[in-house]
Amino acid sequence: MSALGELQQRFQRAVLSENPAPGLFVAEGTQPVGGFDLYLQAYRARLAAALRDNFPVLHRALGDDAFATLARSYIDLHPSHFRSIRWFGDALPGFLADAPERVPHPALVDLARMDWAMRAAFDAADAIPLSFGDLASLQPDDWPGQHFVPVRSLQVLDLSWSIEPIWKALNDAADAATDEPQALPHALLIWRPALDCCWRSAEAGEAAALRALSRGASFADWCTVIAAAGDPQPAMTAATLLRRWLDEGLLAKAETPA
Amino acid sequence: MSGTIEGFGLGLRTEHYRDFVAAPQAVDWLEVISENYLVEGGKPLHFLDRIRRDYPMVMHGVSLSIGSVDALDAGYLRQIKALADRIEPAWVSDHLCWTGAGSLNLHDLLPLPYTEATLRHLVPRVAQVQDILGRPLVLENVSSYVAFRADEMSEWEFIRELVTRTACELLLDVNNVYVSSVNHGFDAQHFIDALPPAAVRQIHLAGHEDHGRYLVDTHDQPVCEAVWKLYVDTVRRLGHVPTMIERDDHIPPLPELISELDVARSLARRALDDTRHAA
Repeated sequence: MSALGELQQRFQRAVLSENPAPGLFVAEGTQPVGGFDLYLQAYRARLAAALRDNFPVLHRALGDDAFATLARSYIDLHPSHFRSIRWFGDALPGFLADAPERVPHPALVDLARMDWAMRAAFDAADAIPLSFGDLASLQPDDWPGQHFVPVRSLQVLDLSWSIEPIWKALNDAADAATDEPQALPHALLIWRPALDCCWRSAEAGEAAALRALSRGASFADWCTVIAAAGDPQPAMTAATLLRRWLDEGLLAKAETPA
Repeated sequence: MSGTIEGFGLGLRTEHYRDFVAAPQAVDWLEVISENYLVEGGKPLHFLDRIRRDYPMVMHGVSLSIGSVDALDAGYLRQIKALADRIEPAWVSDHLCWTGAGSLNLHDLLPLPYTEATLRHLVPRVAQVQDILGRPLVLENVSSYVAFRADEMSEWEFIRELVTRTACELLLDVNNVYVSSVNHGFDAQHFIDALPPAAVRQIHLAGHEDHGRYLVDTHDQPVCEAVWKLYVDTVRRLGHVPTMIERDDHIPPLPELISELDVARSLARRALDDTRHAA
């Protein structure tokens, strides 16, 4: 390894392990107060700030001290491999799911997942929402093979707790009083029709339908899925969902090849 | 609109997006943090495109890691090039530093040892970036809090040599020079006098924290008196160079930053007048 490579490895190891690197710097005793310690402190402070930005509601739910402790353990186990600090924290929901004792209530794992998904939707790829007018040109024969595509920002999360009221309350006000969340397996939809992110909970059938559409299912495939779930009027159910999704900007106009 | 930039600018911050959209501001150009716009869509790119219609821009990156021993990140450079194609900046800058090794990123602007070996390491990398971007790379001096035993030359000698060997250009952060001069005990004016004047493309002004025996480059408060003085001496030495206030934290309302920019305008004008009268 080159001398420069060795120097960088030693410097980096010293920052990550919080152990000074003896012999690397000129006469440590004459260095300005601060010196290498400033790099140690700045590293953890900067990454902790990124986690606060990316998990704002989890931060509010835990409070400064508990969040700082959590951030500290995450930073030590998951150093950043990202060019942009905006992505730091991608593994935090999984980090909590693997060991829910890291937070005082298991519902906070779902809160972290919602935070991260909202962050992802914020700067996901833009899409032009599909409108009712776009469907006017469809002929009856076109419908069975028609592919409806969700906007690219759409995420369908399977949550175990009813955390949306807490997320909303804490997102609106840092000191909001909240009730203890209830166990409630359900799906959460998060998407961005234009510039602002939207979210709402969804029934299992709707979540399954959106996942099927994301995988490329046709309208006919989709009706088959609904019928298989025991729905006697699959086409009617599909039409009702379609109307709602169009209203909500959940479907994208097909991209024309450049 | 990517041509030359003149006058006085600010770093574009999300807190001021709506101010720039709502009304013309007394700002000649804007610097954008490249990494903030390496995303697929949403508000960042929406406001970037909208504000670009009214203001010339320059791009300023924080994670090129030109001095790292890791290979340059081709994917990152492609993204930077794509962003440059999108907004046609007058120039593209990053920092003369390294940010991590072994594929890790410490998200800090870490100092390099000022050695011949480091120069030899940097020269082909700067050339590679310049080839990909199709323009000179503009590099900024960083503040530092340690000096390496391995150093063989001063920071200004190192920078001057790098410019000679690569034809890269310089973003002179006057605050960073001042912070490092206090921390390492060198003469800040000597540093600036030693730089090749024609290479200095842009100037940053910023604030720092004073801890008594040392300074920390925080970019979170107004420019201090000593940095203003150094800026005046810099303008006397270099003539007018596009100058901006760089505030990264504790972002004040836009009018406050524009007032601070007006101080820079007024000091630069006076310094240039002094120079003309002395000539």
